[in-house]
Amino acid sequence: MRSLARSIWIVLVGGSIGFTSCIDPFDAETGEFVSAIVIDATITNENEHQTVYLSRTYKFEEEGPEAVSGAQVTIVENGTNTIIFTEMEDGEYRSQQPFAAQPGSSYVLNVQTAEGNFYESQSASLPDAVALESVYADRITSDLGKDGIAIFVDSFDASGNSPNFRYEFQETYKIIAPQWNAFDLLSTGIECGVDIIPKTVQNQICFASNVSNDIILANTASLDENRVQRFMVRFMDRSNYIISHRYSIEVTQYTQSDEAAAYFSALDQFSSTESIFSESQPGFLVGNVFSREDTDEKVLGYFDVSAVDRQRIFFNYSDFFEGEDLPPYVNPCRTIAPMLISQGGARCILSALVDAGQVSYFDVNADPPFEEGPYLVVPRECGDCTVLGSNETPDFWSE
Amino acid sequence: MKKSLQFIMLLVGMQLGMAQDAIPRISVSFTNVEVLEALNTIEEKTNYRFYYLEEWLEDVRVTGSYENMQVSLILDDLFKDTVLNFYIDANNNIFLLQNNQIYDALPDDFFGEEEQLADDGPSYEDLEDLGPLFVTDEDSGVSRGMPVVKIGKENRNNRQRTFTLSGKVTNLRNGQPIPDLAILVEGQDIGTSTNSNGNYSLQLPVGENIIRTQGLGIQDSRTKIILYNNGTYNFDLSESVQALDEVVVQGNLDRNVETALTGVTLIEVEKIKNIPLVLGERDILKAAVTLPGITTAGEGSAGYNVRGGRTDQNLILLDNGVIYNPSHFFGIFSAINPFSTGTAEIYKGNIPAEFGGRLSSVFDITTKDGNTQKFSGEASIGPVTSNIVLETPIVKDKSALLVGGRATYSDWILRTLDDEQLNNSTASFFDVVAKYNHTIDDKNEIKATGYFSRDKFSITSDSIFDYSNRLVSLKWDHKFSEKTTGSVILSNSEYKFGIEFDGESNDDFDLGYKNNETEVKLKMKYLHSDKHKFDFGLSSKLYVVNPGDIVPLGAESDVTSLVIPEERGLESAIFASDSYEVNDKLLIDVGLRYSFYAALGASSQRIYQDNAPRNSGTLVETQDFDKNEVIETYGGPEARISARYFLAPDFSVKASLNNAYQYIHTLSSNTTVSPTDTWKLSDLNIEPQEAYQASLGFYKNFEGNKYELSLEGYYKQQKNLLDYKVGAQLLLNEAIETEVIQGDGKAYGIEFLMKKNEGKLNGWIGYTYSRSFVKLDSPFGEERVNNGEFFPSNFDKPHDISMVANYKFTRRFSASANFVYQTGRPVTFPIGSFSFNNSEFVFYSDRNKFRIPDYYRLDLSFNMEGNHKIKKFAHSFWSFSIYNVLGRNNPYSVFFVTEDGDIKAFQSSIFAIPVPTITYNFKF
Repeated sequence: MRSLARSIWIVLVGGSIGFTSCIDPFDAETGEFVSAIVIDATITNENEHQTVYLSRTYKFEEEGPEAVSGAQVTIVENGTNTIIFTEMEDGEYRSQQPFAAQPGSSYVLNVQTAEGNFYESQSASLPDAVALESVYADRITSDLGKDGIAIFVDSFDASGNSPNFRYEFQETYKIIAPQWNAFDLLSTGIECGVDIIPKTVQNQICFASNVSNDIILANTASLDENRVQRFMVRFMDRSNYIISHRYSIEVTQYTQSDEAAAYFSALDQFSSTESIFSESQPGFLVGNVFSREDTDEKVLGYFDVSAVDRQRIFFNYSDFFEGEDLPPYVNPCRTIAPMLISQGGARCILSALVDAGQVSYFDVNADPPFEEGPYLVVPRECGDCTVLGSNETPDFWSE
Repeated sequence: MKKSLQFIMLLVGMQLGMAQDAIPRISVSFTNVEVLEALNTIEEKTNYRFYYLEEWLEDVRVTGSYENMQVSLILDDLFKDTVLNFYIDANNNIFLLQNNQIYDALPDDFFGEEEQLADDGPSYEDLEDLGPLFVTDEDSGVSRGMPVVKIGKENRNNRQRTFTLSGKVTNLRNGQPIPDLAILVEGQDIGTSTNSNGNYSLQLPVGENIIRTQGLGIQDSRTKIILYNNGTYNFDLSESVQALDEVVVQGNLDRNVETALTGVTLIEVEKIKNIPLVLGERDILKAAVTLPGITTAGEGSAGYNVRGGRTDQNLILLDNGVIYNPSHFFGIFSAINPFSTGTAEIYKGNIPAEFGGRLSSVFDITTKDGNTQKFSGEASIGPVTSNIVLETPIVKDKSALLVGGRATYSDWILRTLDDEQLNNSTASFFDVVAKYNHTIDDKNEIKATGYFSRDKFSITSDSIFDYSNRLVSLKWDHKFSEKTTGSVILSNSEYKFGIEFDGESNDDFDLGYKNNETEVKLKMKYLHSDKHKFDFGLSSKLYVVNPGDIVPLGAESDVTSLVIPEERGLESAIFASDSYEVNDKLLIDVGLRYSFYAALGASSQRIYQDNAPRNSGTLVETQDFDKNEVIETYGGPEARISARYFLAPDFSVKASLNNAYQYIHTLSSNTTVSPTDTWKLSDLNIEPQEAYQASLGFYKNFEGNKYELSLEGYYKQQKNLLDYKVGAQLLLNEAIETEVIQGDGKAYGIEFLMKKNEGKLNGWIGYTYSRSFVKLDSPFGEERVNNGEFFPSNFDKPHDISMVANYKFTRRFSASANFVYQTGRPVTFPIGSFSFNNSEFVFYSDRNKFRIPDYYRLDLSFNMEGNHKIKKFAHSFWSFSIYNVLGRNNPYSVFFVTEDGDIKAFQSSIFAIPVPTITYNFKF
């Protein structure tokens, strides 16, 4: 139904903006800013160190959230067993012992901040686990008419008890620097000189990873059976360089309670562009964590207990685009030959670019014309993939 | 006042002062004898001499028996049922008088303070400020050739300054009553019109009044009526050789003060033609917004909020049929053709018992009856739309057809805009209306109306959005007797919208929504007596709603077909009301309506756990109902009580109490009306909305209704208002009840309106202070908004000032101005952002905690009428107007989007620059 909402938005809002109105950006005032605590906690049925993140809301003009440090975080299992969390990094609290949420048990999150404010979640329990049946990639034409690769999920729960699914993914892809050369340039520091030296680190093949930052939800409540079929969690345009060589994605399926699904769904709805444009009524979204002293205090976020399952797949570009051109590289790799010293001799050019790490060596510029320098260089990422990722092969990687 | 006061009866020569003691006492007895004979008897027994004209005494008979009584008292009694008065002078002469009273004393201040002429005068009542009635000859010449009629007998003890003149108007040629004849009082703004039996009744100030009659096919008449008391005067009028071109009936001039209803507004189309226009469209509903108590959420917003009520609580009737979406183009134009419209009556306070089903107001819009005399028409040409209305007799004097049509040619504007996206856009709308009226005979009349409006726009080349209203209504008026009339009304209306999306990819779809209602209504009017007037009847309405369906468009589409099952409901009501005139001052209108609703199958109703929030997790079972099986019933009595009390003839106080039920609700997750809002019927899970309103008002007219002043206050409570959870998905949702919440509302306000009805400068100023709140409380967090406390509704705009002023330079040239100021409407504004689940989100405050900046706007227009030659083919009217002269950028909405990880704030506005328009209208 996502695409329907988007289409209706185009049909309606495009119209109203177009003919009748004008839209001006303005500087939102954060004068009325309210600092509130944000609880980001999902514990799962995997036996591991579970993590709870605590932060505070922040103003629009600020870079990111301020971590809540020095809090005491515990989870109480079945009202008796207290699981203690310790702060690993600012705002990141990890359970001292690995544990897994058990079916039939109830969990309550307790947080006491350094200032002494006490927060408590409603009791949550683990929904029935549903296995992730398969994750697969397919070449499709998207809703917007774009050719590309989609990652689909199939999932089936015979019991029919858990119709709410949330997906996260982590994708990892191989990057091969297209204009790689075994040599590098090094600034000599004397009269704008540069030397050619052999590379000492591998920077031709790298691996980069992204994590999903959308709320991806699927719901089978309105279907005859509890089956997620060909549900798309990710679409990559065929011009996206990340699928150029070999690509891997691990999709994690969280089976959620109805309440948690409702929270995530509402949060998704009024945070996505289309609904804000069509003046959907936003409001304060009540989660399941509350202040113990002040019931009116706004507490954001959610304490979710969900069952997880995950699956990783790999594919190569050639699996889907046999014999077709690779997607364009992340940035165009045009070779240039900057002069060593600017005309008039006021400043260095090439050595300055080298020092700033903006270029990679490509070749010797044989017989340069007057306005060119002696070496051909390319933008750094074209000859050095470490700009985009890590040169170490991840443990899970298989060719 | 002219200086030349002239006494009807000269007092000169009459001696003041009289020896009361000298009046002799006699005993006489008369049984149905001629006055003449009685006077002779008295003359015989006393030394009084009577002076009179014999013609006054013809056919006057008297009866009475008196023992040892003063002659003056005997005469008082004898003449009590006649128009005769008398005066006894010091010489025992008795002068008989017709109508007049002779005052033997001048008013105290007649010659200033110096003399006290009547000090030792007769023991008649002090004259106080109710001095004798002098008839002024204001303008010699005016009254020449005009019949002068004296009505009633002057009574010394009568301190009333207004009396009722009533009577019948008949055609001199055939004696038939003349209905719909305008009866006006010159220079006084009093007027009425005759009813279907030719009867009229007027409240007139005591003394001289010049009564003018005007009517189609009837010779104008002017009659000087000198009114001494309540009385009757019948007009016998001759037919005119040439029919009048235009008649202005001003029968309702003092209705402001007189009716018992509170919160009623009458909009006359002719009166609004000078209000500055946006894009050249004269607009009844836009004119309504300039009056207190009726607002819209913003310029581009369809729907009206009446006294803190929601936009779905207005019953908008065109000739008794419901129009669900009375707007074109997102609310910029109203879908009611102004030229075909006669009047629009808006009830925002006490709604008459015959109407129901909506909580806040009734917009009762009536299409003009076609002209049964001759072919005529009216048209306008504006920059965006053109409009034409034609009227033609079908059977002369009996039936006529009116046809109106309006269409836009806005496409050219879109094409000339320097924007690639808009160049490919099209937007069009039109509406047509047709009305046929047929007078079968004296007793039967039928009226039929058909209406259709459609909007269609396509902003991107691959989508089309359209919506339409269609209605037909049929009304048969029948007169059972002089006192009893009845009407049978049959109406059907349909509203639907559709979206066709035909893009490049595989998700093409065709989405549709439709609702349809059919009503049968019988209403009867029984004029029991002057004191009691009864209205009663019953109505029944069947709703059929198709809440939405989506089908794939084309073979390539992967869209899954989905049809949300049809909903049906039957709303019936029985109503009765009595307009009871307790006395001259107190009028009570007591109405009672019993409304009853049944949600009908076929349907599948979902049943949820008690004491749990409704969601898929708390679903217990689904219960199936067969076609026409009753799913659930709701209903209850609705009181419609109002009263008016005259504190003075032109000053009244009114109060009213009423309540109502509403069984159909709009579903909208937007802050303002959106074209994709759908209507939902009450069912097992959604209860009807209810409202209770009390209002109190004071109404005062000055200078013979030249100025009207009113102050009205109201308090309203509402129950089961349909709201929705944050982020609800309402379109194509089968389990709507899991997305909505029902809550309480309260609203209160004070409305002040000052109107100047005539003169070179006329117009009105309105100020409203009003508040409107909603409370959405529940034991469950997901069904609670703003901690379950009252919060301002989306259209809570406490201060609202509207001013409309027209200035007439000459008969042909006028200018008008329209100024509006409103507090900015509440919006939900983010108060920060937060990070959750690897994403950034905007942190919203409580709902509607902030307000967008205040709204104000000034519009000006300059109007030029063609000359008023009666013989001219067409009467033209030019209007040049500028909307938003100040170029105020009034924000309409504020919203936040995340672009490249940054949250950006935008505000949108509509008509942020002055919009000039020129429109040409003509009438023939």
